[in-house]
Amino acid sequence: MSSWNDDEDLASASAAEAATTDVELLKRAWRNEKAAPEILRFDSPLVSRVREQIQLLEETLDDFSDSGVDDLVVSLYQMDLDRTLFLLRSYLRLRLQKIEKYAMHIARSDDLLSRLSQQERRFTKSPGSDGSAFLVVGLVPSCSEIMEKHLEQSVLSKLPYGYDSVTRQSLSSTEDDMVPEPQLDTFVFCKTKSDVGAFQLDDIGEEVVDLVADDLYVLRYKSIKGLIESGRIDLI
Amino acid sequence: MYGRRASQLLKEIDSSEAGQLAPFNSDVFDQVIRECNEHNSQFQTLIRKMVDQNLDIETTRNEDHYGAAIHHLSLLRNKRCLMAYMYNRAEVIQSFRWKVGPVLPHDIQGKLHFSEKEYFKNHSTAIKSYISEMDIDLTVDMVPPKDPYIQVRVLEDIGEVSLGDHSVSLTKNSLHFLRRTDAEQFISQGLMEEFLE
Repeated sequence: MSSWNDDEDLASASAAEAATTDVELLKRAWRNEKAAPEILRFDSPLVSRVREQIQLLEETLDDFSDSGVDDLVVSLYQMDLDRTLFLLRSYLRLRLQKIEKYAMHIARSDDLLSRLSQQERRFTKSPGSDGSAFLVVGLVPSCSEIMEKHLEQSVLSKLPYGYDSVTRQSLSSTEDDMVPEPQLDTFVFCKTKSDVGAFQLDDIGEEVVDLVADDLYVLRYKSIKGLIESGRIDLI
Repeated sequence: MYGRRASQLLKEIDSSEAGQLAPFNSDVFDQVIRECNEHNSQFQTLIRKMVDQNLDIETTRNEDHYGAAIHHLSLLRNKRCLMAYMYNRAEVIQSFRWKVGPVLPHDIQGKLHFSEKEYFKNHSTAIKSYISEMDIDLTVDMVPPKDPYIQVRVLEDIGEVSLGDHSVSLTKNSLHFLRRTDAEQFISQGLMEEFLE
């Protein structure tokens, strides 16, 4: 998995193979998640593989300390383990913090909920979410419920009838206008992985950009959302 | 001037440094709530007046309608300001869970409204539940690692602590060579510091 195996196999493996190790994939997912304003799709198989490999590395390290392998080698393997662990922790943490920030927005969109892992989904929205989690002993309330309860308790319960909704300003609002949403049209730095060709930047068809492989661009996140999902562009 | 007190709350949020909380301003908060209820009763009075005169509320455009509209919109503005105040404070409180941990020091606790204290507790529990489900501690390793082991100096007496397979006696001012992940939790609580020669 680690760069160690890559070094050993350098003679036989091609550079392309080395670039798609699980650690590289995790690093790419981590970078994308860091730069994107909204939450991206959770790569469940990748995360499970990385966890297995971390476990394997920990066991290898235990064996080393028993068999008295040279300290330098041990600390290098340890370093590798630490760095992979950091990537994994940071990736999960970034996602959790995005969920914290936009819990109410995510809980109301099936598309966004489908991007979360099972555990993240439980964190965001309780199954049956009618505020029941607070009444059932032992059931942990979800992030969106906690926020709603907090706002209701402190502000909304004191406001006059008709103005006490969490998601709407008043009874005369036609849609849920009080839910904070991420800004999808912020600019992001990105790099193309392969030739995309002429690409339409907005719906009207006014701005068309020619995307060449391995070039750096600064574009609005909303326009390139699809390309990021299909893996043809990376955020940096 | 309608809405001036509410914007005071927002100015407070704006002027505090990132990641810091000012004490909860219950005086201004309660005043704004009172204003909202005032606006509402004025609004109801004007609407009732129009109904008594047999005017169609939806379409009539007289001075009562505009008066009611102003009260309605001011109420909405106050509501938005109050919600923004609570929401922004809640975001800072969320960050405390990551920076400080599940228990808040007394000086921070003193700045919180009772609902915020509850919010923090519930939110902490939700995070703890997620962490235990995933079986990975997400509160360590906040900074990319440079060295697997670091030298630390203990700032306060902690006593015997078992780290991995051996136990270490952490007395004040003693120096230790610990694994970074083990030391991190003590460093974030301020009980240890990294010893840089």
